[in-house]
Amino acid sequence: MNTAKRDWKALLTRHEMLLLYVLIAEWLFFYFAGTTTNRRGVVVGFGTMDRQFDILRHSCEIGLLALALTPVIITAGIDLSVGSLLGLCAILFGQLWHDGGLPIPVAAGLTLALGALAGGLNATLITALRLPPLIVTLGTYSLFRGLAEAITRGSITYTGFPETFLFVGQERWLGLPTQAWIFFVVALAVWLLVHRTTFGRTFRTIGLAPEGARYAGLPVERRLALVYVLAGLIAAIAAIIYTARLGQAKADAGTGYELFAITAVVLGGTSIFGGTGSVHGTLLGVAAIAVLKNGLACLPVVMGMNAAEEMSGLLTGALLLLALTASVLPKILANFRSRPHAPAP
Amino acid sequence: MPITLRALPCMSSPLLALSQLTKSFGGARALRGVNFELQAGEVHALLGENGAGKSTLIKIVTGAHQPDGGTITVAGQIVAGLTPAAAHALGIACIYQQPALFPDLTVAENIALRLEPGSALRRVDWPARRTRAHDLLARIGASIAPTAEVRTLSMPEQQLVEIACALGAGARIVIMDEPTASLTHKEQHLLYAVVRDLRAHGVGVIYISHRLEEIFMLADRVTVLRDGQSVGTHPVDGLTETALIRLMVGREMTQIYPPAESVPGETLLTVRDVGCAASGVKHVSFDVRAGEIFGLGGLVGAGRTELARVLFGLTPADSGEITLAGRRLTLRSPQEAIAHGIAYVPEDRRRHGVVLDLPIAHNVTMALHRHLFPTSWLRFGAERSLALEFIRDLAVKCAGPAAPVGSLSGGNQQKVSLARWLATKPRLLILDEPTQGVDVGAKGEIHRIIRRLAREGLAVILISSDLPEVLGMSDRIGVMAGGTLTAILPGHSDAPTVMAAALGSTEKGAA
Repeated sequence: MNTAKRDWKALLTRHEMLLLYVLIAEWLFFYFAGTTTNRRGVVVGFGTMDRQFDILRHSCEIGLLALALTPVIITAGIDLSVGSLLGLCAILFGQLWHDGGLPIPVAAGLTLALGALAGGLNATLITALRLPPLIVTLGTYSLFRGLAEAITRGSITYTGFPETFLFVGQERWLGLPTQAWIFFVVALAVWLLVHRTTFGRTFRTIGLAPEGARYAGLPVERRLALVYVLAGLIAAIAAIIYTARLGQAKADAGTGYELFAITAVVLGGTSIFGGTGSVHGTLLGVAAIAVLKNGLACLPVVMGMNAAEEMSGLLTGALLLLALTASVLPKILANFRSRPHAPAP
Repeated sequence: MPITLRALPCMSSPLLALSQLTKSFGGARALRGVNFELQAGEVHALLGENGAGKSTLIKIVTGAHQPDGGTITVAGQIVAGLTPAAAHALGIACIYQQPALFPDLTVAENIALRLEPGSALRRVDWPARRTRAHDLLARIGASIAPTAEVRTLSMPEQQLVEIACALGAGARIVIMDEPTASLTHKEQHLLYAVVRDLRAHGVGVIYISHRLEEIFMLADRVTVLRDGQSVGTHPVDGLTETALIRLMVGREMTQIYPPAESVPGETLLTVRDVGCAASGVKHVSFDVRAGEIFGLGGLVGAGRTELARVLFGLTPADSGEITLAGRRLTLRSPQEAIAHGIAYVPEDRRRHGVVLDLPIAHNVTMALHRHLFPTSWLRFGAERSLALEFIRDLAVKCAGPAAPVGSLSGGNQQKVSLARWLATKPRLLILDEPTQGVDVGAKGEIHRIIRRLAREGLAVILISSDLPEVLGMSDRIGVMAGGTLTAILPGHSDAPTVMAAALGSTEKGAA
């Protein structure tokens, strides 16, 4: 128990704490600068509960992809295909329900299985053929999106989903946006997997020393396969939530989401070289990006410029680079201090 | 800078003098007052357990680190704020265990990179480059073509190129850090000749090695470091091995190898005509009994590690039979080997034996996930107490089970690597170079642990390039050459017999 306690402390005093401060500062800034009262005397902008729920609702899909990518990146891998897979799964789900005539729960279940299967394709290419994850998932990134486009011939959009299904994406349950509950359950599951089981321990070992893991008798290939299959499964969950939020399934769903998700994971302190990282860090990273994006849209200045999207991209990039710099700064400073003061003779 | 051609008498001002050097890293005091003196034309051995401060001392002399206190005097002049470039200009060169050459460039190009001025815009005089490389290599008696790509050279040949670079740069002080660690017997003798040649040319050589016999063979004087302090400089003549070991560890060690006391029991492992085409192992047959230490001798590259990898399922055998306690095994993966009670402590500790960035506790339980965590849920309490048990049992010097293995000295890292496999309660333990790069104190401890394990009934296969170790520890000795077992000798064999079998010069199969 002692080790567990110390693990907690060590984790919280590092990168994650810094990120939490940034998140609080961001939130306070937008709360004071982004909340206004309109002509009718109603409070609008960042400081309203509605807006906060909106942020949560819009974070779920990218948040899920970030959760999917955290174990992958901890093993020193990468999965660029999750955004495209979200699109493909959305289309498959729409097709199963609309064209296949299946009830929503059955269609959803099948979609999850297909997502895991697509993750299995990545897993097979990476573990059985020993191809680099970056190249494999760059390939499936195009493949999955291409399949989605081909199925819909670029024009079909599935709409007209029943109210009960849209409840998942557009309503609240027990006070919170419904999909937030799904997101929390997945987050908890991934957190437990990474931080409390031998699986997470093995991911970390593979990320640090793949050969060392093999010599220790750890099932390297099977664990690597698991993280990619899991990524596919979670991308499928994200696809269903996405469809429920927008009420339609289109082939371009989730375009570019993989990059936001990777940004959130790295911002959350997971090393792109593998071995170190945490799920709670990823959650903070997702929150920091979501608050920034939504908060900017609430600033009167930005609203006037009609450029919230561009601004948020710029600031997200700046935030990522700052966080990375801050994480290596202590090391650089320590090196600098130990350098000689006296110049060469 | 020309080399001083005559050895100077010992009374003149020394080539290098270090006085009361201190250095701390954070709170750890690596050096606590080191005095050291190197004369021209002297081979001065530097000895000490891992963590005694040898590496720090080298880094200070080569300008990589700055001392906190004390003075460095080179040829009578006090040097302050030594940088790597300044050390180079003063004629200080260091030959590391792993040569730092560019593998895709030729020997001549590598030498030129070190010696020619660094201006980008100049004509390259290729013939001069080759001539110089040829001359420098000839001077140390190396028959290496200047036009050969470094990639194609063996490790000792690359070391010779490094030495040629040092000579070309007019080095007066050459530091050699365990230069023979990865060399075969023949190559070692080539290197000894070069060291003697350097000495004859008036170069001061600081020679670091864990192999005591080398020090007695090569060195004029020896300085012993212990806990960051120099505990004395002695002429090698008149020193005994025991006296030297006592200086290093600061305590009396009655004998280097603990006596054999176990009585081997029933045959546990039977290997019959085993081969693995992929790794070059062929027609290997031998038995190991429970409680027996079976030494595996031979030259580097004889196929001993390859055989171990076959027995551990890393490169499965494609012919022959492996039987363990009466059951015929097909070992296709380390998981299967572990399940049958086979454990393998690999040769490359830092890459395969431990994960440096992970805590001791994680490393110790790594091969034990299925048994310690049968539900896959981590049990931190159980893990911690198991790690503590092994830290106590094997006397691992560390801050606690949560300390990363990378923070430990080599010997203690090796103990963690060993602990990982002892935790699996194996029946057959394969140790691959268990004391390589480990200081004398820890080496003795590891030997006693191996003996104790044999006494407890473990079958042990001990692979070692340290011949005295194989002779001192083994109940029987298998000798390998060219991927196959050439002889099985009794444990009380002498070194020449084993070496002869390893070289393949003795009548085959003599037991």
